[in-house]
Amino acid sequence: MTRRAALAGSLGIATSAAASLPFLVPRYDRDRRPTGSRVAILPATEYSEKLSGALWEGLELFNLDVAGKSVLLKPNLVDYIPGAEINTHPLLVTAAAEAFHRLGAKRVTVAEGPGHQRDTQLVLRATGLEQHLKEQRIPFVDLNRDEVVKIRLRADYSRLKHLWLPRTVLEADFIVSIPKVKAHHWSGVTLSMKNMFGVVPGVKYGWPKNLLHWHGIQQSIVDLVATVPIHFVIADAIVCMQGNGPLAGTARRLDRIVLSDDPVAADATCARLMGLVPGRVPHIAETAKFLGNMSPDRIDQLASAVISPPAPFETVPEFEHLRVSHRAAG
Amino acid sequence: MTGRVNSLVHSLRTSLTTRKLPQGGWPFLGGSLQMGLEPTCLALLALRLERSASAAVLLDAQRPDGSWGSFATDDEASGLTGLALLTLNALGMFAHAATRATDWLLDAKGREASWIWKWKFRTTDTRVRFDPDKFGWPWEPGTCSWVVPTVFALLALKQSFPCCRKGRVAYRIQCGVQMLLDRACPNAGWNAGNGVVYGIAMAPHIDTTATALLALRSEPTNELIEPSLVWVEHQACSCPSPWSLAWAILALDAYNRPVGSLQQRLVNLTELDETDNIATLAAIALALDCTACGNPFEVVA
Repeated sequence: MTRRAALAGSLGIATSAAASLPFLVPRYDRDRRPTGSRVAILPATEYSEKLSGALWEGLELFNLDVAGKSVLLKPNLVDYIPGAEINTHPLLVTAAAEAFHRLGAKRVTVAEGPGHQRDTQLVLRATGLEQHLKEQRIPFVDLNRDEVVKIRLRADYSRLKHLWLPRTVLEADFIVSIPKVKAHHWSGVTLSMKNMFGVVPGVKYGWPKNLLHWHGIQQSIVDLVATVPIHFVIADAIVCMQGNGPLAGTARRLDRIVLSDDPVAADATCARLMGLVPGRVPHIAETAKFLGNMSPDRIDQLASAVISPPAPFETVPEFEHLRVSHRAAG
Repeated sequence: MTGRVNSLVHSLRTSLTTRKLPQGGWPFLGGSLQMGLEPTCLALLALRLERSASAAVLLDAQRPDGSWGSFATDDEASGLTGLALLTLNALGMFAHAATRATDWLLDAKGREASWIWKWKFRTTDTRVRFDPDKFGWPWEPGTCSWVVPTVFALLALKQSFPCCRKGRVAYRIQCGVQMLLDRACPNAGWNAGNGVVYGIAMAPHIDTTATALLALRSEPTNELIEPSLVWVEHQACSCPSPWSLAWAILALDAYNRPVGSLQQRLVNLTELDETDNIATLAAIALALDCTACGNPFEVVA
């Protein structure tokens, strides 16, 4: 080994250690964990009109009180690449909108700020979501270009202290994160909490939202979800992505949708369904200390049980340690 | 211009004029009262030949350090300061403001330009393929260079200094051009600035590719520029979105490619009453009248 390689290796180890340091000290305002959380794993093998019925039955298990409230649906729209499973499916988004209208919501808005593609309308049109929303008269707000307000963050892992956030998000009574279940090359997984990067406005932070990367992706996720509450999760785990997500991975079927009233419980459950260990994903492990429940004994599974896949989802090399190994599973 | 194109341009200009904020400038989305830098610049460019287009809003919004914020109350410099300078230059002679903006652009750089980050990106953080010696401009201070801010900084500097570029101006233009060429997608085109991640070639975007081509217009054509032009030309024929199509037209026009049929296509795609995004409306107007009234993003080849 050359001296240069040794130095580079040492620095790499030091950098990794430094990256985990912010998680050694609690940096949240208070413990907001519910005593118990509820998750429903529902079978769903195709994107079709049948999703509406399945989702409605699932939502009935939660007795949600959204009557008279403004509901914001936050899908995961990153970019449009023909044939690639990178976005929340439009039929799941419109099924959710229909269900929340049926539950008595005063207003249902779909909102997103893609992190990669500047042309939000191109993503909406190319995916077909724009047409679906028009047909059901559901408004869409481009969070990359919405009016913004400066907000003090309620956790301090990233050291950002403040973020400018869209008024539409801050004024919503009930926020529903609707992620596409994917492996992610920077954060390990992208589930309901990582999905909230889409509320960070491009008009201020650019494309991609690079400031969050410089302040630590895991840390920024924690600060963001500590500040912008996710009231409910509807995860698109029908066709997912493994490997080099969020854009360049390969499709992987789980044939499920996952509902939860706790984003930490939702993401922990999705990670288990992916064959990953949720406690090894830093932002899941840290939010489980103050925001929600990761432990199975504090999660009430309302429908199917969690079944690990025959083989864990593939990841990029940096996140192979997330995968359930024989030793860890035992 | 044909009748339909002419008529839509007139409607777009009227719409932009009526959507102007009472305090000056334009927000991104209808209903908002928050002046946004990008829609304000694009609207001013679209209305630049009209008497009502005044640079006052930009002059008032310029920060003490010479940059502009992304929106009215922004407390930091925006990566679109280059677009603001380009707009100012298109509206008239504002030597003092332009000099301050130029000085800011010459000082601003992506974080990878510092030796420690260069070293990190060369040794431990090599997941995204790029050469940190080739840097441009960031969206936000303290972050990496990305394609769009670099494009507008380059356009502003190239237009401000059409000839006799020396010293820092020449260096930053050369470095920015090299950065754009380095961050391209392997086959053709550009996205936000990640051409290859974990060894996988990423897909280009129409609008970003078009703007990058505008910034490279005065450069000698090469094995990247020509295929990117061909790619944009091909994509424009089926592009479903007015914003991207408008930028494709502006780029193709700058390279003297025929854009008449694409302008007709843009007219067909535009739903004036349903378009809430003022930056998009302005970009459409610019694309539709670039052949008749000039292309404000053109640089001398």
